[in-house]
Amino acid sequence: MRIIVLGAGHVGRAVVDALHEEHDLTVIDVDEGRLSSLSDHYDVRTVTGNGTTKRVMRDAGIADAALLIACSPREEANLVSAMLAKKLCPGVKVVVRTSSVEYLEAWREREIDVDFMVSSELETAIAISGLIGIPAARQTDVFADGQVQIVEFDVPENAGDGPVIGRPLREAEIPQESKVVAIIRGKELILPRGAEAIRRGDRIVVIASPPSARSWSRLIAKSDQEIDDIVIFGAGRMGTTIARVLLERDLRVRLVDSDHARATEAAEALPDARVFCAQAFDPEFLARERMGRSNGAVFCLNDDAKNLYAALLARVNGVTPTIALVHDPSAVPVYEAGGVDIAINPRQVIAEEFVRFAHDPRIRQIAMLEEDRFEILDLTVREESELVRKRFDDLPQTGSVIGALIRNGKVIFPHGSDVLEPGDRAIIFVESRRAALVEKVL
Amino acid sequence: MLKWVGLAFALPAAVALGYGEPVWPFLASGAITVGCGLALDRITGPKHGAAVGPRESFLVVALIWLLVPVFGALPFLLGDEPQLSNPVNAYFEAVSGFTATGATVLTDVEGLGRAMLFWRQLSHWLGGMGIIVLAVAVLPRLRIGGRQLLQSELAGPTEIERFSETIRETARRLWKLYAGLTVVAVLGLALMGWSGLDPAMTLYDAVAHALSVVALGGFSSRNQSTAVFAPVTQYLLLVLMIVAGINFLRLYRVLVQRHVRVLARDEELRLYLAFALVGSVLVTFELLAGGLESGEEAVRHGTFQAVSVMTTTGFGVADSAAWGPLATMTLLLLMFVGASAGSTGGSIKVVRHLLLFKLVNRELHQAVHREAIVPIRAGGVVVEERALRSAVVFVLLYLLTFVLGALALLIDARSAGTEIAIFEALGASAACIGNVGAAFGFAGPFGSYAPFSDLSTGVLTLLMWLGRVEIVPVAVLLARSYWRA
Repeated sequence: MRIIVLGAGHVGRAVVDALHEEHDLTVIDVDEGRLSSLSDHYDVRTVTGNGTTKRVMRDAGIADAALLIACSPREEANLVSAMLAKKLCPGVKVVVRTSSVEYLEAWREREIDVDFMVSSELETAIAISGLIGIPAARQTDVFADGQVQIVEFDVPENAGDGPVIGRPLREAEIPQESKVVAIIRGKELILPRGAEAIRRGDRIVVIASPPSARSWSRLIAKSDQEIDDIVIFGAGRMGTTIARVLLERDLRVRLVDSDHARATEAAEALPDARVFCAQAFDPEFLARERMGRSNGAVFCLNDDAKNLYAALLARVNGVTPTIALVHDPSAVPVYEAGGVDIAINPRQVIAEEFVRFAHDPRIRQIAMLEEDRFEILDLTVREESELVRKRFDDLPQTGSVIGALIRNGKVIFPHGSDVLEPGDRAIIFVESRRAALVEKVL
Repeated sequence: MLKWVGLAFALPAAVALGYGEPVWPFLASGAITVGCGLALDRITGPKHGAAVGPRESFLVVALIWLLVPVFGALPFLLGDEPQLSNPVNAYFEAVSGFTATGATVLTDVEGLGRAMLFWRQLSHWLGGMGIIVLAVAVLPRLRIGGRQLLQSELAGPTEIERFSETIRETARRLWKLYAGLTVVAVLGLALMGWSGLDPAMTLYDAVAHALSVVALGGFSSRNQSTAVFAPVTQYLLLVLMIVAGINFLRLYRVLVQRHVRVLARDEELRLYLAFALVGSVLVTFELLAGGLESGEEAVRHGTFQAVSVMTTTGFGVADSAAWGPLATMTLLLLMFVGASAGSTGGSIKVVRHLLLFKLVNRELHQAVHREAIVPIRAGGVVVEERALRSAVVFVLLYLLTFVLGALALLIDARSAGTEIAIFEALGASAACIGNVGAAFGFAGPFGSYAPFSDLSTGVLTLLMWLGRVEIVPVAVLLARSYWRA
């Protein structure tokens, strides 16, 4: 498929990384330097120039492109270039990145003519909101309108043997309506069979109904403390969007920003949040405001180094869990080594949304795990598939696991004797490099 | 603009004609006013007049409220009225009229001619909503700079109000509502008389009291103020006072545009009603416990008097000057409450109390949470820090002026050798700066300010003027920075 990507920043790079193997990509950016560093790593065509002009769009080959992903940080430029693309090539699909809730609402009311619009702030806020509901989760995502939740857990080193840990899965008392689809032990990926056991230090991926996901969280974190007080550091667009989403869930939110004007703006926009103008690096402030008693902190400062330091300082002062935004993917291992509980990459979050459009149209949703090493797909099974009407025990091992099925609107967590039917929506855990194969056979 | 005020004299002239009283004082006053207006027009001319900037608006507002009563006092002097032959007294009466204060130097109100009394009531009505608002609504020349004029003219810190319409449209709406309310009041009061519920109420009285009550003025056409009317009428007046004390911009939305929810969310309105309730309960309690009055009468008198003083009207249904210390103290405090911003009432205004209360609350919060940022909201809208500061400054200036006014009265009394009680001085000062009217002692609801010396009357006139223009425009004029480039 011929795809044009507008913008070679962090989001553009994440999109290119996910798509470059199977598709013919052209990247447009005004910055020559960013483009050349991109073409060092990936085999893509690059066009230097302003994507809102006809000439540049023609140079990039809009005439025979199938998809335009406008993901530059300038939302007005994204919109203009999307409008232009629709005019120059009426058949093209366009997806647009925005950070404005107003644009998003206008699009939902079909007043802006693009095929898809996504806000990195809102998507990230929703992801964080999901994490806050599930203590001990590293990452979570919901599928099928919230009927299915996928959660990635770290099993703590100090966890004692319990109903699930250290026992073969077929004997473990795992919550009903859930399925362990992967165990990641060090570098090794295990697609678990009944004899396999979850060990301390493992990272596991669970597909479950939301109540069962919470049961898992209680089994692993061994705490069912009610979460209701969250501190957010950084009151920029990201911070205020997260605050808004959390406030809508009736959580108590405190927002901290060192910039007085920004803090004031946030305080005026969010009547229910408590806003402070203070440094995130001020231990006395943390102590004075009893930050240690909060049930979690989110760090959305603009700088990874600052996020890391502030998160560690908060941890030292007793705040858990700490959720920190990461802008540079290479900082993720540093965060983990430092002891940040959860690192979230907003670019990754929205790249997931864009990448879906380059896939088979039967795919309704994609989530990426472990920096795109694995994907979760929501895929509808075809009538012609050779696997239709086979029992699950007889399905071939292709580096993938079907975690859940949605049949006639109802969710099934399949066992060995269940049978795959045409028209089923399958929620599948798959290694990214095998995703195309799964698409082909189902 | 002045020349148009001259036209207003036509109304009492018509009344005079109707009652067979001398017409010429009004016609002569009208002629003089129109003449002066035209002369002023000639002097300023179109080349100066157009630009009314924020600076000029202070001067314009301050001067208009000084000048208009000068012409308003003309009929009193020309009419050869023995009670008002002293120019100081005549001017006091006119200022009291136009500022909707309702303080009078007359000892025998009914001794005045009907036309003369009507002119007093009409001056209330003209001044109540504001002559400048009226001018902005109808005169083309004032359109430029109208915003500043309206801001400085409307009672209370209305800069927190969002004018969604043009200034001209806003001013028109205000006057339409004002006029409509007046018509309702006239009909309501007249109905009391026609239906026989209140034999004391004539059509003339109905018009006179309607003009006075919607302006929250306080002049009455009767010696015994509203005490001569039947209880039903007093209840009707009570309701009218409460309605006229609500923000007219808000009232317009509710009554004309039918946005009823506006009222339910209105914090100022809730506080306004709460103040009225607490004040009424305290006064009634004093009346009952002190054995002064009993039953329904105590409730009616207590509530009426509390609301009358709080909304800065100043009608009297009973001689509150004779009431006990708790009632007197409550009434004095209520003088500092005032009506809502954007109403026709005077004094500090409920919204400023609201802002101050929130400000204190925030200071206490920030004493514990030093870094906390707490924007102050009124009705869901964030109030600018500047508006908060000016509310604080206003209240301080107001209290300062009040104290200085009382002090001046005492100094004058001492040097003139007359006797005045401290509470009477405080009450007169508060009643004048708050545009209430009725005070305590000899200046009570049925009393008169006549015993004051000319100098004291002058001081009180000044206080009424300061209260009506809300001090700040005058204080700005006194500041040195105003006159420098």
